[in-house]
Amino acid sequence: MSAETEKPPILLVDDEPEILASLKGLLRREFTLHTAQSGAEALEILRQHKIHVIMTDQRMPEMTGSELLSHAQTQSADSIRMIFTGYADIKAVIDAVNNGRLYRYITKPWDPDELIETLQQAADEYARRQRRRDLLSDLVEYFDDATESGKQDASLLRARVQNEIELDDATLS
Amino acid sequence: MHDEVSAERRMKVLVAEDSSVMRMLLIAQLRGWDLDVVSAVDGAEAWELFKEHEFSLVLTDWIMPNVDGLELIRRIRNYTLPHYVYVILLTAKTDTEDLVHAMDAGADDFLVKPCDTQELRVRLREGTRILKLESTLAEQNLAIRDAQAALVQSERLASVGQLAAGMAHEINNPIAFVSNNLAVLRRDVDSLMQIISAYRECRDDLSRVDADAIARIDRLEQEHDLPWIMENTLPMFQSSKDGLKRVRDIVSNLRDFARLDEAVQDKILIGDTIRSTLAILNHVIDEAQVSVVLNDPDKPPIVCRPASLNQVFHNVLTNAIQACQPGDKITINVGQTDESVLVDICDTGAGMDESVLARIFEPFFTTRPIGQGTGLGLALCFGIVRDHGGEISATSQLGEGTTIYIRLPKQPQLAS
Repeated sequence: MSAETEKPPILLVDDEPEILASLKGLLRREFTLHTAQSGAEALEILRQHKIHVIMTDQRMPEMTGSELLSHAQTQSADSIRMIFTGYADIKAVIDAVNNGRLYRYITKPWDPDELIETLQQAADEYARRQRRRDLLSDLVEYFDDATESGKQDASLLRARVQNEIELDDATLS
Repeated sequence: MHDEVSAERRMKVLVAEDSSVMRMLLIAQLRGWDLDVVSAVDGAEAWELFKEHEFSLVLTDWIMPNVDGLELIRRIRNYTLPHYVYVILLTAKTDTEDLVHAMDAGADDFLVKPCDTQELRVRLREGTRILKLESTLAEQNLAIRDAQAALVQSERLASVGQLAAGMAHEINNPIAFVSNNLAVLRRDVDSLMQIISAYRECRDDLSRVDADAIARIDRLEQEHDLPWIMENTLPMFQSSKDGLKRVRDIVSNLRDFARLDEAVQDKILIGDTIRSTLAILNHVIDEAQVSVVLNDPDKPPIVCRPASLNQVFHNVLTNAIQACQPGDKITINVGQTDESVLVDICDTGAGMDESVLARIFEPFFTTRPIGQGTGLGLALCFGIVRDHGGEISATSQLGEGTTIYIRLPKQPQLAS
C-alpha cells in the first residue's frame, strides 16, 4: 500500500465544526479529506465521491453515527467504517462492532498519532480488499478464456473463485 | 425487685441524708436489693460525690445543711451527662405547694418520710423502668442519627459522582479538539522552523542582493527573540501535552467512578486479586521500604468484577504506601462471614485527623499538592464497592496509622 502515492480519500463526520477543523489539520498531509457536519451531508458526499474510509462521531442530532454507517453500508459497501465516540456511548459502539458494521472505534479524546496510524491501517485494509477483488475478477476472466480454449479444470476453478467473490460481497454488506 | 433493679448491671445509687439513722436504714434497704450504694451526709458532699462517680439514681433529703436537696437537684440538672439521672426527693413536707416546688426544681418523684419499704421498692422500680426506657431511646436515636449520616454521605457521593461524570462527558469534545490541535500545531510549528532554518542558511547570499531586507529581518528576529522561540516552543508544546494528558486522566477516572458496568463479572478468590495488585505495586513497595503482610487463611471466593476490585485494592494500597515511612508495615487481613468477604487494610503510617478522615471518600478531596493527586482514588473505591453492594469505611489515628475496612457480599446483585 505504501507504494501507492495517492492520498486515500476519507470522509470525516462530526456535528462540531471545531472537531472537523482540528482533524483536517492533523490528517491533511496523509489523506484526501472530505468533511460533513451531519449524516445527510455525509451520505450526499458518499454519492458523489469514492470514499475509502468513513469516520463518524456517534452522537449527532437527527442521525447518529451508527445509523449513518448502516446507510453507508448499502450505499458505499466497500468503504471501511469507523466510529469515534465519547465514553458514554461505548456500549452502542460495541454492539455495532459485534454486528460487523465497524472496522474500528476510536475513543474521544483520541491520541493523534494513534489516530493517524489507525486510519492508515483502515486505508490499507481498503486497498487490500480492492486488490483481492481485482485479483479475483482477473482470475475469473482468465478462467473464462481458459474454458473457451478447452481446459478441463478451468470451469471448476472459476466456480471456486466466483464463490470466493460472493463470500466477500456477503461480508462487506 | 432484686431482678428488676439489677438485671443488667448493678445500678449505682447516691443517697444524701443528714440524719444518720435514716441514712443507715436507707443504705441497708438498698443494699438488700443488690444496689451499689454511695452515701453522703449533706448536699455539699453529695455534689462532690456526684461529680466523681456515675450515678443513675439519686435519693436525697430536702432539708440538709450547706447545700439542701433542692439545690443539689438543680445542680444535677444543670450538669451535662450522657445519660439521664432519676432523682427521688425524700421529704417530711406534704403540702401540694411544696411538692410542686420540688418537681419544678427537677425531682422526678418524692417520698414522704419515714419511708415505707414497699413504697420505696415500687418507687425505685418505677425509676429503673424510666431509666431503662430513656437509655433505649437514646441508643435508638444514636443509631438513627448514624444511619442518617451514612445515608446522606452515600447519597452525596453518588450525586457528586453522577454530576462529575456528566461534566466529564461534556468536556470530552473540547478536550478532544484542543489536544488534537496541539498535536497539529506542534507539527506545523516544527515545519515552520525547518523552513526558517532553510531561509537562514541562505542569509549571506540574500544580504548581498538586498542588505535592507536582511537588516529588517535581523531587527525582527531580535525584537521577537527568535533563538528563544526556536529553543522553547517545542518544550512548551510538550508541557501542554502533559497537562492535557492529566485532564484526560481525570475525565477517564470520573468515567470509571460513575460507569462501572462495563467490567466483566467472574467468581474468583479475593486473595488472588490482592496478590496480583501487590505484584503490580511491588517496585513501589520496595522503593518505599515498607513491609506488606497478607493474611488469608480462609481463601474465600467471591462473585465480583475483578478488574474493578483490582482498582479498589490498588488505590487503597497506593494510599497506604504513600502514608508510610521506611520501616512501616501494611497488614492485609482477609476474613469472611456467611454472606460477606471482609478485607481490612491496616498501615502503621502517618494517619490523619478527624477532619481529613471525614472527607476521604469525597471526589476531588486530596491532601496532596495540586497536580499530584486527583482526589478521585478513594471516591472511585467507594463507587466500586457500592456497586458491588458492599461497604467501605476507615478509622485513623494521627501518627499511628490508618485502617480501611471493606465488606463485599459473596453473591452481589451487580447492576448491569
